[in-house]
Amino acid sequence: MTLTTDRKNKKMPKEELINLDIDGKQVTAPKGVTVHRAAEINGIYIPTLCSHKDLTPYGGCRLCIVEIEGLRGYPLSCNTTVTEGMKVTTENEAIRDIRRDVLQLILSEHPSTCMVCAEKIECERVLGGTVRKSGITTGCRWCPNETDCELKKLVELLEIEELDYPTLYRGFEKEREDPFYDRDYNLCILCGRCVRMCQEVRGTAILEFNYRGPHATIGPAFGRSHLEAGCEFCGACVAVCPTGTLFEKASKWDGTPDFQVVSTCPYCAIGCQLDLRIKDGRFSSAVASHDEVVNDAQACLKGSFCLGEVSHHFSRARKPMTKDGNYWREKTWDEAFDIAVEKLKDLAPGDFAMLVSPDMTNEGLYASQKFTRMVMGTNAIDSTARRSLSGRLGLWADLFSRPISIRGICNASRILVIGLDTRFNFSIIGVEIRKAQQKGGKLVAIDPRENNLARYSDLWIQPGPGYEGSLLKALAGTDADLKSGAKEAGIDSELLKEAREIIESGDDLTIILGPGVFHYSSVNKLIEGITAFASKDNTTILPLYTGTNARGAMEMGTFPELLPGAMGRDHAETIEMFEEKWGGKLASDEGITVDQITSGAKRPKVLYLAGAVPFFERPDCDFLIVQDIYEPDFECDLYLPASSFLESAGTLTNLEGRVQEVLRVEELRDSVRYGRARPDWWIFSQLAKKLGADGFDYEYVTEIQREIADVVPGFPEPDKLDREARVFETPGTVPVPEAIGNPGKVGDGKFILVLHPEGYTHRGISITSRVEGLQILNPENGFYISQADADSLGVEEGDILEVKVDTAVGKAQARIEKVLPEGVIYLFVPDSLGGVGGRKDLDNLYRLEQNPVKVEVTKSAL
Amino acid sequence: MKMKNLDKRRKAAMKIWKAFENNKKPVIIVGAGTCGRAAGAMETWVAAEETLKELKIDAEFMEVGCIGPCYLEPLIDIKLPGKPRLSYSNVSPSKVENIFREIFEEEKIPDRDFVGTFDDSDDDGGLKKFWDHPMLAKQERIVLRNCGIIDPNSIDHYLARDGYKALEYALAHEPEKVLEIIKASGIRGRGGAGFPTGLKWGFCRDAPGDQKYMICNADEGDPGAFMNRSLIEGDPHAVLEGLVIAAYTIGASKGYIYIRAEYPLAIERLENAIEQMIGTGLIGENILGSGFDFDVTIKKGAGAFVCGEETALMASIEGKRGMPRSRPPFPAQSGLWGKPTTINNVETLGTIATIVRRGSDWYSNIGTENTSGTKTFSLVGRVRRTGLIEVPMGMTLREIIFDIGGGLFRKFKAVQTGGPSGGCLSEEFLDTPIDYETLAKAGSIMGSGGLIVLDDNTCVVDLAKYFLNFTQSESCGKCVPCRVGTRQLWEILERITTGQSDIEDLDKLEKLGTSIKRSALCGLGQTAPNPALSTLKYFRDEYLAHILENRCPAAVCSELVEFRVIADKCTGCQSCVKVCPTNAITGPRSEPHNIDESLCIKCRACYEACRFDAIAGDAIVITSGTAT
Repeated sequence: MTLTTDRKNKKMPKEELINLDIDGKQVTAPKGVTVHRAAEINGIYIPTLCSHKDLTPYGGCRLCIVEIEGLRGYPLSCNTTVTEGMKVTTENEAIRDIRRDVLQLILSEHPSTCMVCAEKIECERVLGGTVRKSGITTGCRWCPNETDCELKKLVELLEIEELDYPTLYRGFEKEREDPFYDRDYNLCILCGRCVRMCQEVRGTAILEFNYRGPHATIGPAFGRSHLEAGCEFCGACVAVCPTGTLFEKASKWDGTPDFQVVSTCPYCAIGCQLDLRIKDGRFSSAVASHDEVVNDAQACLKGSFCLGEVSHHFSRARKPMTKDGNYWREKTWDEAFDIAVEKLKDLAPGDFAMLVSPDMTNEGLYASQKFTRMVMGTNAIDSTARRSLSGRLGLWADLFSRPISIRGICNASRILVIGLDTRFNFSIIGVEIRKAQQKGGKLVAIDPRENNLARYSDLWIQPGPGYEGSLLKALAGTDADLKSGAKEAGIDSELLKEAREIIESGDDLTIILGPGVFHYSSVNKLIEGITAFASKDNTTILPLYTGTNARGAMEMGTFPELLPGAMGRDHAETIEMFEEKWGGKLASDEGITVDQITSGAKRPKVLYLAGAVPFFERPDCDFLIVQDIYEPDFECDLYLPASSFLESAGTLTNLEGRVQEVLRVEELRDSVRYGRARPDWWIFSQLAKKLGADGFDYEYVTEIQREIADVVPGFPEPDKLDREARVFETPGTVPVPEAIGNPGKVGDGKFILVLHPEGYTHRGISITSRVEGLQILNPENGFYISQADADSLGVEEGDILEVKVDTAVGKAQARIEKVLPEGVIYLFVPDSLGGVGGRKDLDNLYRLEQNPVKVEVTKSAL
Repeated sequence: MKMKNLDKRRKAAMKIWKAFENNKKPVIIVGAGTCGRAAGAMETWVAAEETLKELKIDAEFMEVGCIGPCYLEPLIDIKLPGKPRLSYSNVSPSKVENIFREIFEEEKIPDRDFVGTFDDSDDDGGLKKFWDHPMLAKQERIVLRNCGIIDPNSIDHYLARDGYKALEYALAHEPEKVLEIIKASGIRGRGGAGFPTGLKWGFCRDAPGDQKYMICNADEGDPGAFMNRSLIEGDPHAVLEGLVIAAYTIGASKGYIYIRAEYPLAIERLENAIEQMIGTGLIGENILGSGFDFDVTIKKGAGAFVCGEETALMASIEGKRGMPRSRPPFPAQSGLWGKPTTINNVETLGTIATIVRRGSDWYSNIGTENTSGTKTFSLVGRVRRTGLIEVPMGMTLREIIFDIGGGLFRKFKAVQTGGPSGGCLSEEFLDTPIDYETLAKAGSIMGSGGLIVLDDNTCVVDLAKYFLNFTQSESCGKCVPCRVGTRQLWEILERITTGQSDIEDLDKLEKLGTSIKRSALCGLGQTAPNPALSTLKYFRDEYLAHILENRCPAAVCSELVEFRVIADKCTGCQSCVKVCPTNAITGPRSEPHNIDESLCIKCRACYEACRFDAIAGDAIVITSGTAT
C-alpha cells in the first residue's frame, strides 16, 4: 500500500537546480537527486517497484532502466544522480522490451493467474471480489492488495497479457503467528523495501534477506519469529510493501481507501501525524504520515495498528444510560441531562468532584475545568495526569518551560538516556536516537534493565532501580560527586567517569528521561540532577511521560491549583482576568485531588469521571457520573457516551508543546447501530446550559479553541494552527516541588519491586483489552522477572507469582525477561484501570506509596 | 628519513637457501598443496618417514606447493647431497619403499614414475629434465615462478629468490613511479574482466580521502578453478608483496584478503606469511623506515559465489549480506565503508612484484599487443594432463589443450572458459590466440582462468544446465533477471534435457538470455546466460537433436537414453546385477542379462561396472534415439 500524502513535494527545497533533458523535455531538478526522482518531480513516470523516496537506491527490480546519452547500456534511473545537461530517454522500444521481460519474470514468481487469465474481464464483472480469504493466493482475486497493487498497475501499463514462462510457485506457509500483520511471502517480489526500511530508517535491522537465489526470502535471521527477534511492530515495512505480502490483519480486506486525511495519534505525547485512511465513511487503517515536524513517516505499533479496534470495538457504549430501578436503560441525551441536572444542582463545594483523563482533547479539558469552576463553583477538578506527571507539577512546569525537540535528537552528538525502553512505547525516540548514532552520535544509557536502547548504546550503566536520579546528579557534579554517586548506586565509579567523558566529549548533550524515573517515590536527586544539567550550555532535556495530553491538561488548568495557561491561583491579576473573561466569580476552595479520592481522604457526593478511571471498584460516592467511550467495569449511576478520537475533532498538545489537530473522520448519524456518542466539550457545555450557566454557547469546536487562544498565552487560534513548538510562559507560578521521601527500600523482602508506568491506556481503559494484537504481546501484564530468579524460585513463564509487602499482596503470572537484573521484578502500572479486570489482584500493589519497594516473592499455587 | 633495507636479512636468507641447495642431508620434497594432499601426499609422507627410519637414513622433509601437473600428484622430489633434485610422480604410499630402496640402497635412479631432474646443466648423464616435461615445456612461469620450488612457509626461501626486492624498490621511490611502471607494463586484471590494473590504481590514488583500502580478492568460486588457491598455497609472499606494493601506490593503510573459508590450507599459509612479514617489518608501522604504514586482515568468506563480485565482497567484509550494488559509484570512489578502495585478484597481485623488479618493458613484451604478460589456467576436464599452467597471452587453445594438456582420451568437442560466466567454444576456435578480446569476441570470457575441456561424451545442453543450476542457486536473489531469469533459463534447459520441450524454447532461451545479459545488476547475472547462449550458438544441432528427435547425441541426458545389454558381449558375470540398486537387471549366471526398463533409474552403475570388468568389457551400452 503506498498511498502517500507527500508533503515533501509541496515545498521544494531551495537548492541549486540542475537542467536536464528528459524525453526531449527541458526540466530542472535539485542537485544531487536521482534521475528517477527528477522525473517524478517533473511529472514523468518511470516504472519501479523497489525504489522508494525514503530509502537508499537498491536496483533490484530493474524496471526503472533508462537510456542516458554517454552512458553505456541501460543505467538505472533510481541509482544515477542527475548531472547538468544530462539527456535521458525514459521510454523506447528496447527499454520497453527489457521492462516487459523483467516484469514477466517477476510475475512468474508471483501468483498472477488473474492478470493473464482469459476470463479476466468477465470475472471482474461477475465475481467482483467475493471469493476471498483462500489459504493460497494464486492470483489477484485472493490478494488483499488487489485494488491497490503497484505490480498490477505495471502489468496494465506494460500491456502484459500472457506469460512466456511457467509459474514458479514458492509454496511458503502464510505467516500469521505474529500480531498486527500477516505475511504471505509467496506474493513477495523481494524488492527489499521492508528490509531497507527496517535497517536504514528504523535502525533496527529485524528484517533481512535469508537464503540465496530462488530460495531467497525475507524475515528475521535464523528462523526466529518477529517477536523473538525484537520487532517493534511499527508497521513501517507494511506501509512500504508494494504487494500484498505484508498486510495489516485488521484492514486486510477493506480494499482501496476512498481518501485519507492527516490526523494526530491519540495514544502518546509524541503526537505522531498519521494518515487515516477512510473507506465507505469508516476508518480503515492508519499509516505514519510524511510529517517533517514530528515523526517523518514513522510511528509505533499503537499508532499503526491500534486505532480502529479501540474506536470500533463491539463493546463500545455509545448511548447515554442510567439505572432505572433495577434496570440499566438507554436514555436520550435530554433524559440523561435531566437526571444529571437533578443531581448536580445546588451542590456545595466539596460535594462535587470531577476527574478528567489526560487523553482528552484540549477542548474537552478546557470545557471540563470551566464547567467545574464556573458552573459547579469549585476547584474540585483534577486529572489523572497527576499520576503521569509524577514528581510534582512544579517540576513539569519547569521542564515544559524549556524548548523540547523530538526531531532534534537525530542531530545530537551526545545522548544520555535514562530509564527508557523504546521497543513499543516512544519508539519514535528510539528511531531518532539511532539516526543520531548513524551520524556519529554517542549514546550512554542508564537503566537497571538491559533494554533495547542499552543494547544499542556505546556505554550502558546498570544501577539498582531507584538510583538513576542519583547517577544523573553525580554526572552533573564534581569528581567527588561522581564517586559518592557511584557508591550509592552500587556501580563502579570508573564506569561513571567513562560516561561523563563520553557526554562531555560532544558539542551538545541531549538528556532523555523515560517515564519510569519520574515514577519513583523519591525524585529529589533526579530533580537536582535535572536542574544542574539544565543550567549547562547546549544541553537539552527531553522528559517523557504517559498520558497523551498531560501537557495540555496542565495548560488547560484541569488541576485544582492551576488555571488555564498553567497559571497558579495565587495571582490576583490572573483571577481578575478570568473572572472578567468568564463573567463570574472564580471558586477559591482547595479542591479535591485524585489521590484524596482514591485514598478516601475526601468523599464527594457526586463524582464525575470524564474519561478517567483510576479505580478498579466503584469509588465511594452517592452519585457517579461516567463520561467515556467505554462503560466502566463497575456500576455507575449515569453513563454519558463520549465520541472517540475518530468521531470528534479537537487538538492535542504534544510534549514539545505543539498544538496538533485530531480530525473527525467518521461522521456517524445518531442511530441504533452507531449510537449517540458526543464530543466531551459538547457534553460539558450542554450540561452547563441545562444548569443555567452562561458562557457555554459553543456550537463548534473552533469556538472553544478561540476562547482558549484568548485566555491561554501562546495557544494558537483555530485557523492558525501552525503546530509550532511552544514553551510554558508562566514559570514560577506553579507550586515548586517540595522534597519528597527518600530512596527508601521499605519492606523487608529479598526482591525489589519496581512499579513502572507504561502507556497502553486510552482514557478509561487499557487498550490492550480491546486490541487483539496487543493481547498477544500483552506487554503490561504480569511480573517481569529474570531467568536466574525464576530458576531459583522454580517458576516458569506463566506460573503465578505472589508478591507481598506488608499487608499488600498481588498475584500475577511470571514473565521471564532476560534483560532484567537479578533480584528485581518489574510491574507495569497503567494510568487508568478500566478494562483490566484480570489485574484487580494487583490493585494493592498499584497503590503502593513506595517505589521501588522490597517485597517477598513466592510461587503461588494459583 | 633513512630507509632500512633487507640486505642483511636477505644475506641470512641466502645462506638458508644455499644450505638447501647444497644440502648435507638428503631432502625429501613433498608436493603438499591441496591437490597433492587430495591425491594422498600426506599419507605418502608418513610412508616415506617410516621407510627412511627402516633404512636408517637421516633425511629432511620440505613441503612445497603445487608445481603444476596435478594429474601426477602426489609428486615427491628427492635431493641427495651434491645431486640434482629428482622428481617422482604418482607416489602412492606403497611405491615409496621401492623408490627409496633403489635410490638410497642401490644408488640407482629408478625410471618408473620418474618425471625429471631439476638440474638444468647437461652433465647429468642424460637424465630427463623436469622442465622438459611436455606439460611444462611450453609454459612461461612468472606468477608461478616459486610454486613447487620453495617452501611456502619460509620467508627466507622467498627472500633468497629475489623476494621483497620489488617492495624495497617501490618504497624507495614515489608511488607515482610504481604506478608508472604498472601502467606501462600493460597488465590487466586477472580476475576476469581485464580492466587495466594501472588505471584502476590511478583512479583510487586520485580519489580524495584520507583513508583508503586495498583488498585482495581470493574468493575463487568457479567450479573447476584453483589457480588462486594454488598460488597462495605455493607462494603466499608473492601475493602479499604485491598487496603491499599496491597499497603503497594507492595510499591505503589497511588491507583485506577476502578468501573462501573452504581454502583452509591457503588461509594457514597466508596467516603464517603475514606473521613472518610482521616479524621482518614488512607489515606494520613505518615499513622499512619509509614512513608507510600498512596492516592486513584476512577475512574468511562463508562460501557464497557472488561474494567474488567486488561490491558484494565489500558488503561481506562490512559484515552485511553479500549482495552486489549498482555501480557507479565504483569502489575507487566509494568502496569499503564508503572509502576509496582497490580490489585486485590474487594473480594480479602475484605478478606485481615481478613486474616492478624486472621492469615494464620486459613484461609488456610478453603476450599479445592488447594483453601483456602471462595467464594461469586450471586445465581440467577430459584432457590427458590436468593441472595448473601458466602460458603467455596469445597462445592458442590448441597449444594449451593438445601440447600442454596432451590432448584428449576421446574426440575433442568443446572447451569451456571462464567457468559459469564463460562460454563454450567449439573446435573452430582452437587456433584462436587467447586474450581478453578474442575470447569475448567468440562469445566467452577469459574469466579467472578455468579451462574445462570436453569430449564427445559430454552433452553441451547438460553442461549448460549444470552451469545454470550453479548460477541460479548462487544468485544472491537481489535483482529479478538473475534470481528469476537464471531459474527460468534452467527450467528451459531442464525441459530440453528431459525431452519436454518444443522448438519455441530455443527462441525463448535466446531471448531470455539476451535480456538477462542486458538487465542484470552485477557480473554474475550479466554473464550467467553465457554457457547457454554459447552452446546454443555453436552446438545448435545438439539442441535440435534433443528437441526434435528426443535424442541426446552424447548419451548423457538420462531421460533420453536407454541402457542396453549387448547379448554377444555379455558373459553373464553378474557384476552389473550386483550393483543395480533397483534390481532392474536380471539373468542367470553365464547367460546374457536383461535390463527391465520400467525399473531402470539410469544411474549408470551397471555401465561403470561393466566398463571396468575385464571379462565382459563394454557389454552394457548407453544409447540415445536411433543414431547409435
